[in-house]
Amino acid sequence: MEQIEKRDVIVTEGVTKVYAADGIPVNALNGIDLTIESGEFTAIVGPSGSGKTTFLNIISGLDSPTEGKVWLAGKVLSEMGGNELSDFRRDNIGFIFQAYNLIPVLTVEENVEYIMLLAGVPKAERHERVITMLETVGLKGVANRTPTQLSGGQQQRVAIARAMVSEPTIILADEPTANLDSKTGADLLEMMRRLNSETGMTFIFSTHDPMVMESAERLITLRDGQIDSDEVK
Amino acid sequence: MWLILLKLAWRNIFRNKRRTLIAATAIGIGLTALIFMDAFMIGMEETMVRTVTGSFLGDAQIHRAGFRDEQEAALTIQALDEVTTNLAEEAIVQHWTQRVLVLGMITSPANVSAINLVGVHPPTEKYLSLIDDAVTEGVYFEGDNSRDIVVGGKLAEILEIGIGDRVVVTVAQAKTGELSQEMFRVSGIYQFADEGMNSGMAFVRIQKAQEMLAIGNNVHEIAIKFTDIAYSQDLTMPFWDTYSQQGNEALSWTELMSQLTAIFEMTQYSKYIVGVILFGVVVFGIINTLFMSLYERMFEFGVLRAVGTRPFGMARVILFEAGALAVVSIGVGVILGFCVTALLAHIGIDYTGIEFVGVTMQEFIRPVMKVEQFTIYPIWLFVFTIIAGLYPARYVTKMSPVDAMRRSF
Repeated sequence: MEQIEKRDVIVTEGVTKVYAADGIPVNALNGIDLTIESGEFTAIVGPSGSGKTTFLNIISGLDSPTEGKVWLAGKVLSEMGGNELSDFRRDNIGFIFQAYNLIPVLTVEENVEYIMLLAGVPKAERHERVITMLETVGLKGVANRTPTQLSGGQQQRVAIARAMVSEPTIILADEPTANLDSKTGADLLEMMRRLNSETGMTFIFSTHDPMVMESAERLITLRDGQIDSDEVK
Repeated sequence: MWLILLKLAWRNIFRNKRRTLIAATAIGIGLTALIFMDAFMIGMEETMVRTVTGSFLGDAQIHRAGFRDEQEAALTIQALDEVTTNLAEEAIVQHWTQRVLVLGMITSPANVSAINLVGVHPPTEKYLSLIDDAVTEGVYFEGDNSRDIVVGGKLAEILEIGIGDRVVVTVAQAKTGELSQEMFRVSGIYQFADEGMNSGMAFVRIQKAQEMLAIGNNVHEIAIKFTDIAYSQDLTMPFWDTYSQQGNEALSWTELMSQLTAIFEMTQYSKYIVGVILFGVVVFGIINTLFMSLYERMFEFGVLRAVGTRPFGMARVILFEAGALAVVSIGVGVILGFCVTALLAHIGIDYTGIEFVGVTMQEFIRPVMKVEQFTIYPIWLFVFTIIAGLYPARYVTKMSPVDAMRRSF
């Protein structure tokens, strides 16, 4: 393994994932070597079944590779135990899901502050950061509403606020615009691009959306579990 | 952190109100059943004890040792004067009465029957037995006619006698065994729920019985009523030793009716068994409810895990939900249990005339509520619910976030 540079946020080496589907082994990923640097705004694209989901699951520590290694913020994910990995995800990764996946019984403020609660951030600081973050994503005044009282675009903004409020190393976004109309999707994408340039946070998208692909600085195309192309714009 | 997980659990419980209400009602009914069953058992025990001690037995009795087994007329209480003097000074003794007991034969012009002849002292006997209240024809020893006899309704039927009719009672004298016969006139007929007392007992004045047995002023039995029946269940009291001297024995009703005490102990066990069965059903109901709720929100659990909730944190969410469900169920069970028990305690449950381990119920059974029923059982339910929650909680800790989210990215 080459020396990991300080700017390298994610490094994968020979990442392979084999699933057993009805007893038949299926190679979802075939030896992926990839380096993503801090502050990148990268989109991972490819047809269904190309391995995008599996790859993001593995680089986020939600799943483990059959072979190979993943370094995230300088740490090898496979060497961490259950609690350590949970804490590591809490401190280093922000997730944005296609279906927003906010906790419906919690208010917007509680949803956004949840990760800070896990991290033991004091109440006053939590509140201040939540309010600031909600203002940043254009959601002033909705802190006490529940997710069901918001539109899809607003819910996704809350999801972005939740992902970013604890200032993680990277943001992993799963088809963040897929459930939104094109205008809302474009607005959100612009906002994420702005946050990326302002905060220097690394954004990695899995997407089919041409708008996201166009906006990305780097486009990694997966096909049959392998990197088909890696284009830096 | 605990607070947000508690909030999450409490709000999740009310996410599907109908299901929570159904589950809580089912669990609550289990608690209600337990509260009511306990109250009913206590009510039944108290009724039986009241029946047994109030009808004739008393809370305690003093005899000459061996008398209860042999029924020998010569076995009278030793040092009677000393015993009665002491009893008169006992603070815990409310009433006491002396009796002469002997097996005999009663003859009417129409028939003959074996009886337990009881010589009583009417002024004090009325505090220890209910015979005076049970007289349905004639009177209970009014005036001073020493030849009055009070018999049970069934015995009167056998002998084909009525008020004012003559009967002859034959007994064997204490020391000589010589037969002693006396003629009596029926002054009262009683009807008791207990058929044995109705058909096999006859009451005369104590002086007459002593005269027939030639035992002087001696007696066979002193029946005692304490100021509080609870004294009769405290066998560590010095009272028992004090009056179990000089060849006498002082026994509580719990010893005199040991089969009844054994039955009460057995009902305690059966209560535990029913409790375990009820809680078993409740536990599976809780597990089912928690799993249904869990499967419904699998994706959310996946998200919570993904964003950094530790496995134990996830388990806490489930355990808090189990606790929240228990709190709601306890609320339902306690309110329902109180209402049902209070209602039936007010109305009473008619068991009169039904015989159970030799005791014929003479009054309605009224369930008795105790604070413990509304504290201990709910605590049990809470603990059982948390224990039941351990299985789904463990399941959550083992859950892979990827599997939970099915399609996370």
